[in-house]
Amino acid sequence: MKKFVMIHDENLCIGCEACSVACKNENQIPSGVFRVQVHAKMKGVFPNLQTDFTRASCVMCEDSPCVSVCPTGASFKLANGITLIDENLCVSCKYCILACPYNARFLNPITKAIDKCTFCYPNRVSDGLTPACVSVCPTDALIFGDINDNNSEVNKVLASKSVEYPKAHLGTKPKLGFIKNTKGGRYE
Amino acid sequence: MNNMAGSLMQYNEIYWPWPIALYLFLAGLSAGCLMVSLIVKFNRFTHNTNSIWDATIKAGALISPLAISLGLLLLIIDLGKPLTFYLLLIKYNFTSVMTLGVLFLLVYTPLAFLYALIIFEREIGLYFRFLIPITNSIRKMANFAKMIEYVLFFLALCVGAYTGFLLSAISKIPLWNTPILPLLFVVSAFSCGIAANILVGILFFKAHLNKENIKYLLVLDLRAIMLEIPILLLLFVGMYYSGGESLISLKAIFSHEFYSKLFWFGVLGTGLILPILIALTALKNHAYKPAFIIINSLAVLVGVVMLRFFIVYAGQVCIS
Repeated sequence: MKKFVMIHDENLCIGCEACSVACKNENQIPSGVFRVQVHAKMKGVFPNLQTDFTRASCVMCEDSPCVSVCPTGASFKLANGITLIDENLCVSCKYCILACPYNARFLNPITKAIDKCTFCYPNRVSDGLTPACVSVCPTDALIFGDINDNNSEVNKVLASKSVEYPKAHLGTKPKLGFIKNTKGGRYE
Repeated sequence: MNNMAGSLMQYNEIYWPWPIALYLFLAGLSAGCLMVSLIVKFNRFTHNTNSIWDATIKAGALISPLAISLGLLLLIIDLGKPLTFYLLLIKYNFTSVMTLGVLFLLVYTPLAFLYALIIFEREIGLYFRFLIPITNSIRKMANFAKMIEYVLFFLALCVGAYTGFLLSAISKIPLWNTPILPLLFVVSAFSCGIAANILVGILFFKAHLNKENIKYLLVLDLRAIMLEIPILLLLFVGMYYSGGESLISLKAIFSHEFYSKLFWFGVLGTGLILPILIALTALKNHAYKPAFIIINSLAVLVGVVMLRFFIVYAGQVCIS
């Protein structure tokens, strides 16, 4: 059984938003809303400033709050760890948007259903491709693969680098990990 | 946080706006009115079941189905896809509080209407003759109907409590994510149920008014309000000692320009302090002064509306 994992290396990210644009293009996301965005967070005191680029998208929790609160079962999990939304079952009550600790969900203004990152599972990953964001990343800051495959790139990265999972104290067990920024915008 | 490209709107929206706040009030009002109506019926007419129904019983029986119907309408309107609401009735997810609420309401709402039919049997005989077959069939099952009343009381309690659990299941919002919230909602629902029953009873069912019952209910209401203040205090103290995001949210709420005022003047001032002051001055020693009783009831009702708006909005706006 495959288990998909994504890792965002914040040291390699340059904040170019190519992932966000590729996602909008691939998944036909209406303007004004985003499945994935890269946010810039500046910290420190001048002149010792550091800018972190953080990815804001669904983190594919193992124990997803959005799935447990969904009243119709429109939000569901696949065995491979990916959380999806059945547009036809969604009544758009927005309970899942409130329940999501990662602010990953939004109301799609065209379908009126709730929308979020799917790891491009229906349109790309199920055909053996990588998600759109991963495929366009110019610095290879995004690493995607099957954690149960010992030779996959994610396993090599997980073995060699320290990967943090967002809001780990909530016990949601995310499948999107982060290699925290230590240097700032290196490619700036 | 700074956006490098594109809008950040989707992260800062009020996802549950005023229709939800109003629904939470109406569901509480409906459940409260029904509970109070049943309490008066159980406690006051044990020996004399043939006495003419009391004004407060009638008021509760009238308000409860109307309030829940209006509330459910608001709930449906607020859906992003209102016409798909039927999916909520056929697809269940038992880990979701919303599904549990749907199931409670599915039984509660028709029973609330049936309860109104029983209480207004005489009026229906006069003005709504097409409903007579229903009231007659209920009368044939009179013993059974008595048992249903206890079920209905329990269901009203469930409806009142579920609105609290609905919010407290959201771990992201510290103001909602406390076990005390369902208790606060039940107590305030009970309190506003008393106020609404007294108000409607005095205004519309004067002929059946029983001063002893009004006094009995005013005492109950005062106790509910006295209980609400420590519950609110517990809610905030709990958030304070939880620290972290809860503490940040608490500070944000009480330093917020609008929501802090809404709490101090609306929720606490109008809804809790004013009724206590009226009870201690104008209505001292259980004096029966209709004008002050009406002001008292209005203050309680306005206070509970404000409480629901405060919880719903301040919770969503002031997240860490």
